[in-house]
Amino acid sequence: MDIVLGITTKDAVIIATSKAAVRGISILKVTDDKTRQLSDNSLMAFTGEAGDTVQFAELIQANARLYSMRNGVDLSPTAISNFTRNELANALRSRKPFQVNVLIAGFDKKTNKSSLNWIDYLAANVSLPYAAHGYASYYTLSLLDRHHKKDMNLEEGLELLKACIAELQKRIPFDFKGVYVKIVDKDGVRDLDDIE
Amino acid sequence: MSNPQEINGGAAVAMVGKDCVAIACDLRMGSSALGVSNDFEKIFNYGNVYLGLTGLATDVLTLSDVFKFKTNLYKMREERAIEPQTFANLVSSTLYEKRFGPYFVGPIVAGINSVDNKPFICGFDLIGCIDFAKDFIVSGTASDQLYGMCESLWEPGLEADDLFETISQALLNGLDRDALSGWGAVVYIITKEKVVKRLLKTRQD
Amino acid sequence: MPGLSFENYQRNQHLATSGFAVPKTTSTGTTIVGCKFDGGVVIAADTRATAGDIVADKNCEKLHCISSNIWCAGAGTAADTEMVTQIISSNIELHSLSTGRQPRVVTCLTMLKQHLFKYQGHIGAYLIVAGVDPTGPQLMSIHAHGSTDIGYYLSLGSGSMAAMAVLESKWKREMNKEEAMALCTEAIESGIWNDLGSGSNVDMCVMEVGKDSVLHRNYRTPNVRAQKERSYKFARGTTGILGQTVRNLVDVVEVPIANEEMEVDS
Repeated sequence: MDIVLGITTKDAVIIATSKAAVRGISILKVTDDKTRQLSDNSLMAFTGEAGDTVQFAELIQANARLYSMRNGVDLSPTAISNFTRNELANALRSRKPFQVNVLIAGFDKKTNKSSLNWIDYLAANVSLPYAAHGYASYYTLSLLDRHHKKDMNLEEGLELLKACIAELQKRIPFDFKGVYVKIVDKDGVRDLDDIE
Repeated sequence: MSNPQEINGGAAVAMVGKDCVAIACDLRMGSSALGVSNDFEKIFNYGNVYLGLTGLATDVLTLSDVFKFKTNLYKMREERAIEPQTFANLVSSTLYEKRFGPYFVGPIVAGINSVDNKPFICGFDLIGCIDFAKDFIVSGTASDQLYGMCESLWEPGLEADDLFETISQALLNGLDRDALSGWGAVVYIITKEKVVKRLLKTRQD
Repeated sequence: MPGLSFENYQRNQHLATSGFAVPKTTSTGTTIVGCKFDGGVVIAADTRATAGDIVADKNCEKLHCISSNIWCAGAGTAADTEMVTQIISSNIELHSLSTGRQPRVVTCLTMLKQHLFKYQGHIGAYLIVAGVDPTGPQLMSIHAHGSTDIGYYLSLGSGSMAAMAVLESKWKREMNKEEAMALCTEAIESGIWNDLGSGSNVDMCVMEVGKDSVLHRNYRTPNVRAQKERSYKFARGTTGILGQTVRNLVDVVEVPIANEEMEVDS
């Protein structure tokens, strides 16, 4: 039910996540942030089983930070994605796997490239130009496929995101209370004004 | 969604020609009916051996890494690259090790043995039973269609350029009758002298 | 086997509970037979391997070498018959090295049955073991759960009934090698024609006292593919290409031809 979207642009990645925390037929919270910052230049957005999501995201966050502290350098977004995939793949072989789907948005300062990784609970990891998890993907992927361009600038990316959100608000049969929008680029991770 | 080998979709095929082998795969990675990626290659290279891995995407990624690790170790110990036949047995034992909790994959191997320069292909089931074939090997969600295409199109003694057309047409037309495969395709034509990788023009539906 | 890893078992169990079916393995839906004769024993098999209702391999090998004097025909899950046979083969070699004796069929049989019993039938190997050892020609069979039989003639696999029909009607005491080979051929062919899980060719192995065992790969080939009516070769350039990369495996160096005159400043 949660909405998790990611769009890459030429030198930034846009992440949008719904603000509603839904449990059963109730909305428990309208300011739920479904993201965690993993390092200076990478962000994880997540959806899935209630308890698992935050536990898992913070596990990755803690490990990424531990690595930075020990080695004095941040893991690259690609490295973090592979680490995340490994954690999920190992969990999948345990008694109770993490039922978490994530997007990892990052900007690699060494190669000066933005990246977006789609990872599902089965630990399939794919690098994509734009991505979504859950029902939101059925509504937005067609729009993104039609309008996304490899070398879009941030403004064009945000326009595209707005079109996606508008479509979701029109079609999804419940109120997801708008989305938080975050930008990951060379300057780090920053919040944008919410799209209601 | 009932069979783990059919969640993500994908297909691969290998063929033998005259002093050459070919291996090809599609590029789709999906989540049941939803297409997720059109850039998901299923062929991996280890020295002069090429491995096609179809099936559950997570296991494709895991196994491609496992074989990268094992072939690197092999190269360090033996001070030479692994031969296709040896690699086939490595795949077989790696898969059978997980006999009662298998990886949901359908591997195929193609390469030219560097000692006798003979072409070699083979395929496996998910627990490592090797299928040695003199002609062709198919794998993935379009395997039924590919069996039909290869059985009719393949003939012995194809030159590298003709083998390219035969394997491409077998794959392309096989993919068109499978909803879970397609979205682009790549073909490797392997000869003693060089390996040519071609990106095919395919339907996008 | 001490090496089998159950690492993925829980994951797959979890996957199975969330609605995933168990995938197909290659099985040798098979006809295998064995028959003793005066001074030896012969085993035979068809060469079809199936995955569900698809013929996965039209000419596979179901006759496995355990030692120079012992051979084994396998039916059931193809990977299991192959792997169980390889492992017992290794252990038999080690055993004969440490005892300094020629391996015996009963030893092989005991090792196989103890191994298979340990796995309670989950290793789906159904085998006919035959060979000549210091105690003479031997012919035995093993089922996946570990039970064993001894007989003058045996058949196993999905085509075992078809084959046994032939064996029961035509087997007699005191056969010579040629008669036994002919009987086994006919029994396998009965499976090839009448059982859907069996097909293609007949493989045979003859083990005689005092002689090297002989493997007749494709002893009979009653299903040779007819020459194709026409070639389906495509004209070069039929397939559309979007891009191409070349990886050169040899260095191409241009060498000037020796007798070509060189330009020299005068």
